[in-house]
Amino acid sequence: MRNGTDRLRAVNVPQPAVVELDAGGSPSKIEMRNCDVREPVTIEAVRETWRIDDEWWREPITRTYYEVLLKGGARLVLFVDLVKREWFVQRP
Amino acid sequence: MTVTPHLASDSAACCWIPLFALRSELARRPEIASLPVALVAPDTARPPRVWQVAPLARRAGVKPGMTVSQAIGLCPPLKLCEPDPVHYDEQFARLVAALVTVSPVVEPVELGRVFVGTDGLEGLYGSPEGIIEAIQMRSAECGMRNFSEGSFASPDSHLHSALRIPHSALRVGWGLGKFVSWVAATRAKPGEAVIVPVGGEAKFLASQRLAVLPLDPDTHRRLLQLGVKTLGALVALPEEAVVSQFGRAGRRLWRLAAGLVSEPVVGRVVPEPIVAALTFFTPVGERDLLAHALDKLVDRALGDPRRSGWRVQVVRVHAELEHGASWLVEATLKDPSATREHIAAPLKTQLERSPPAGAVERLVVEFTAFAPGTAELQLFARDAGAAARAGRRRALQSAAREIALRIRRPMLYHVIEVQPWSRLPERRYALIDYEP
Repeated sequence: MRNGTDRLRAVNVPQPAVVELDAGGSPSKIEMRNCDVREPVTIEAVRETWRIDDEWWREPITRTYYEVLLKGGARLVLFVDLVKREWFVQRP
Repeated sequence: MTVTPHLASDSAACCWIPLFALRSELARRPEIASLPVALVAPDTARPPRVWQVAPLARRAGVKPGMTVSQAIGLCPPLKLCEPDPVHYDEQFARLVAALVTVSPVVEPVELGRVFVGTDGLEGLYGSPEGIIEAIQMRSAECGMRNFSEGSFASPDSHLHSALRIPHSALRVGWGLGKFVSWVAATRAKPGEAVIVPVGGEAKFLASQRLAVLPLDPDTHRRLLQLGVKTLGALVALPEEAVVSQFGRAGRRLWRLAAGLVSEPVVGRVVPEPIVAALTFFTPVGERDLLAHALDKLVDRALGDPRRSGWRVQVVRVHAELEHGASWLVEATLKDPSATREHIAAPLKTQLERSPPAGAVERLVVEFTAFAPGTAELQLFARDAGAAARAGRRRALQSAAREIALRIRRPMLYHVIEVQPWSRLPERRYALIDYEP
């Protein structure tokens, strides 16, 4: 979200990620692209999921969010863009 | 507050510069003058709203009171500026100070609008046209320019037009009482004046729209529903009928519309010189001691209750030396101040450059000229909390300038709410450059 004079900058832009899924379709490993640590991290548990459908009147946005617990105890929120089939990390 | 009769004036010139804050910002940053610009409101309302809007942005549909997100939606290249109320107050204080040189009776009412009492000025400037010319010339020194230089009407385009100052944003209205002069100012074009001759108030007001009256929205709506669209239509109704509908407020509105109310301009008494003096037990020659004594005397003079509401513009120090000699320095502050450091600094510089020729027996600090205090204008800095916020803003600006100097690229941002209700986290907040 930047305007023509480059004055307005978006905050909390989704960061692309590579996610592996388990047999049930839930995320099991994540690798963050814009991060110093490039190695995949195991997802220990999915604590919560929710779905957002928005802006159906112009360019539909459909996302499924996952709040996950990583190996080591860190908490993370990621989502899959169901239109483009791409994964992202984002603060809730 | 005591009102001194000789500082009131029945005839008034209303000086009005619409969008004063925005014009102050553009005068300071001419590089953005050609962009669609809007100021963010200086209050802490959430979500943040647009305050003043430049014509280019207005043409794109941006209006005051919109949320920032609505404004950006309508005008994506909108240049949003953080407001700097203290700077606007200072600029307005400059305008008021310039007008004080025309008339001692000056009454600021809001940012960009000030009444000048003109009773008795005929001897100095002649007709109202002459008085207005003096006002326009003095205020032109403050540099408030119109948005578009090509937007001036021909000199004979208005029935009452008196003078034109090219490129000026100042509109002047002259008439009997504050209301008539204010309405006249709203009818004037930028850089021009409208004069309402004495006795012609009712005729002038009759054709004016209802919105020039100080109406609440409900009364305005009811009058419009009754088919009353001009002041003439209101006056055509019996006064008692208007009173029966709208009560005491209705009577005042009717009389204002009829030109029967003439509220005088009321000026304020400028304080007499404030003096603080110190007699030393033994004559003092050490500069450190004298500088310390200066600080104490400036503090004492600042604490004088007559100084309240005024900033010091001219300060004078007088020293009586041994053997009957004397020493005198005077400093005129470019930016009038009410802080000891600002006032004492030029005096100490003089003390270093040209110290007294002998030991000082008595030291006198005298404030001899004053400018209206920022807080006294009661525009933004209404209370101690606002003054503290202004102080924090200054400190922040100073730190930001230092960072920009060292890093040489914009690194400071201000977080604003854009669509805080959005379900998409990246839509809720945004950053705008923080420019001191």
